[in-house]
Amino acid sequence: MKIENTKAQMRKGVLEYCILSILKSGEAYPSEIIEKLKAGKLIVVEGTLYPLLTRLKNAGLLSYRWEESKSGPPRKYYQLTKIGEEFLKELETTWDDLVKAVNLTRKKN
Amino acid sequence: MNQTVTVNISGIVFHIEVDAYEDLGNYLSKIRSYFKNSEECEEIMTDIEARIAELFNEKITSDNQVVSSNDVEAVVTIMGKPEQYIDEDEGQEQHQQSFSSKQRTYSTAKKLFRDSDDRMIGGVASGIAAYFGMDAIWLRLFFVIALFVGFGFLLYIILWIVMPEAKTASDKLQMRGAPVNIDNIGRTFKEEAEKVSENLKKNGQQYGKKAESAFEAFFSFLLHVFKGIFKVLGKIIGVLFLIVGTFWLVGLIGMLVGSETIFSITSDGIFSIESSDFFNLIFVSENQFHLAIIGILLAIGIPIITLIYAGVKLLFKMKTHYSIGLGLFIFWIIGVAICGMVGIRMGTELTHDESIINIKVLSDNNDDFYISASTDENPGEGILEDRYSVISLDEDSIYLNDIRLYIYKSKNDSMELKVIKNSNGKSRKDASNNAKMISFNYSITNDSIFLGNYLSTLKENKIRGQEVRLKLYLPIGKSIYLDKSLKRIIRNVDNVTNTWDHDMLEQRWIMLEAGLTCVECNEIEGINLTQVDSVRAYEPIIEEDK
Repeated sequence: MKIENTKAQMRKGVLEYCILSILKSGEAYPSEIIEKLKAGKLIVVEGTLYPLLTRLKNAGLLSYRWEESKSGPPRKYYQLTKIGEEFLKELETTWDDLVKAVNLTRKKN
Repeated sequence: MNQTVTVNISGIVFHIEVDAYEDLGNYLSKIRSYFKNSEECEEIMTDIEARIAELFNEKITSDNQVVSSNDVEAVVTIMGKPEQYIDEDEGQEQHQQSFSSKQRTYSTAKKLFRDSDDRMIGGVASGIAAYFGMDAIWLRLFFVIALFVGFGFLLYIILWIVMPEAKTASDKLQMRGAPVNIDNIGRTFKEEAEKVSENLKKNGQQYGKKAESAFEAFFSFLLHVFKGIFKVLGKIIGVLFLIVGTFWLVGLIGMLVGSETIFSITSDGIFSIESSDFFNLIFVSENQFHLAIIGILLAIGIPIITLIYAGVKLLFKMKTHYSIGLGLFIFWIIGVAICGMVGIRMGTELTHDESIINIKVLSDNNDDFYISASTDENPGEGILEDRYSVISLDEDSIYLNDIRLYIYKSKNDSMELKVIKNSNGKSRKDASNNAKMISFNYSITNDSIFLGNYLSTLKENKIRGQEVRLKLYLPIGKSIYLDKSLKRIIRNVDNVTNTWDHDMLEQRWIMLEAGLTCVECNEIEGINLTQVDSVRAYEPIIEEDK
């Protein structure tokens, strides 16, 4: 049991939740998502985001559209699908429950 | 500044330093190999590349158009190494393990192969298509159009020869630019199938981008092909330049410095010059001769050297400084100037021409003369020979055979032979002196004229256009027999039948009122000996020479 693995496991779940949360307020392209995630120190390197986005999209939680960019290649603008919204709602409850549980257990200790 | 390469990342063209390019390539192939087992690999790569392009675009300013190693490093820091990725793929641990054990440089460099699995003729179009990841149909279309334009056939054949066939699975992977490892060889087919379905999912906008980048790649590829063809052509031309240049240079130096005979084959036959002797006879002084040699060496030699130099350059891709070309040019100008100077000096040597005329009145007792010439060869050693003239030398004399015989109707009743010795010189006096120095042998008897076939002068008089012109004036009624030995000297003799000079030989000719008439020629229309009297009555139609 390595601490690194456990940390990564924890962060992974939270990361997905955060990405979906960011997109809740509207569509965004990867750089915008990264900015917010970086601000929360959830990710260090941008490369992490791309496989996650692709997998969320392939799982049907996200969809995207192309938009031309003046400063580079066309951007993928991601947004939540219906399934994604459902998924996010469930995650939100789960998260709240987890936070409560964690707070409870930590107070006891 | 480092060398740069042009790369196309996500449809945007960047100039990137070679080192930086390698770093980037290694980084991308690391990421690719990290994701290689996941189905989304292509899509993830596309997204990551697009982001890298975006980041590069931010780095580029109007002052700095080139992506440097530092820029690549910065991008790698932002994007992160695959080890730093948070990935939920189940096989991650195995990935990381296999990744770290394979931390060698992947040979992701694409190679151009002919794709024999998907060929119409030789698999050239499909091979190129695989190289650029585009559909082979467009290339086939291009070749068909090119075939009608004209170069298509040749281009196809050249490519067929140049491109090797992709025989092994490893070849086929390299053809598409995938890293070669055992996993991938097995997965090639699967990846391809995914790529196709992925492409189908993409919308039109992305297609446009793809097509554009494929076009750019295609043109840079074409450029490479043409560069290659020109390279080969360049080598061939280089070899030609070298051979021709060396040949000419040897010839030139041999002609000017050596005393060997130089042959040149012209339409007039073989032309030979015993060079140094010949030049000595033309130039005023030794100094002028040497100056002329230097001038000619520079004026003709430098273009030849330039040719050789160009050949060497084409062959060996030497780096050269512009000063070499400039230097050559300056020396060439000097050479031309020297030649011009010597030429002008030579010209002044020939500005005046004078004649010495000697008139011999022939015996009036005889009505019939036999005219012949010597057929001896010039004395001494020939230094310049062609079909018409010979210049020869012995110890102290020059022998030239510029002798001409003309025949005219006499203005009076006496038969005369005018011996005219012509020469050029830098002044009237000099020219007339040169003419006087001409010695020409001939003999006249009661019934014959015997002419020499060469003139001579002393070597010190140089060659100054010396010539001897013989003008024979025949009064009406006199007849002459032209011996065949006159062949080399008889020129443009007018006659009533317009018979050509050489056909006039070995015939007897009589001067009548109408002009020179053949006595025994049967075929001459309307005129024979019995009609002489009537012909005499004709008005003269021959123009008299002064």
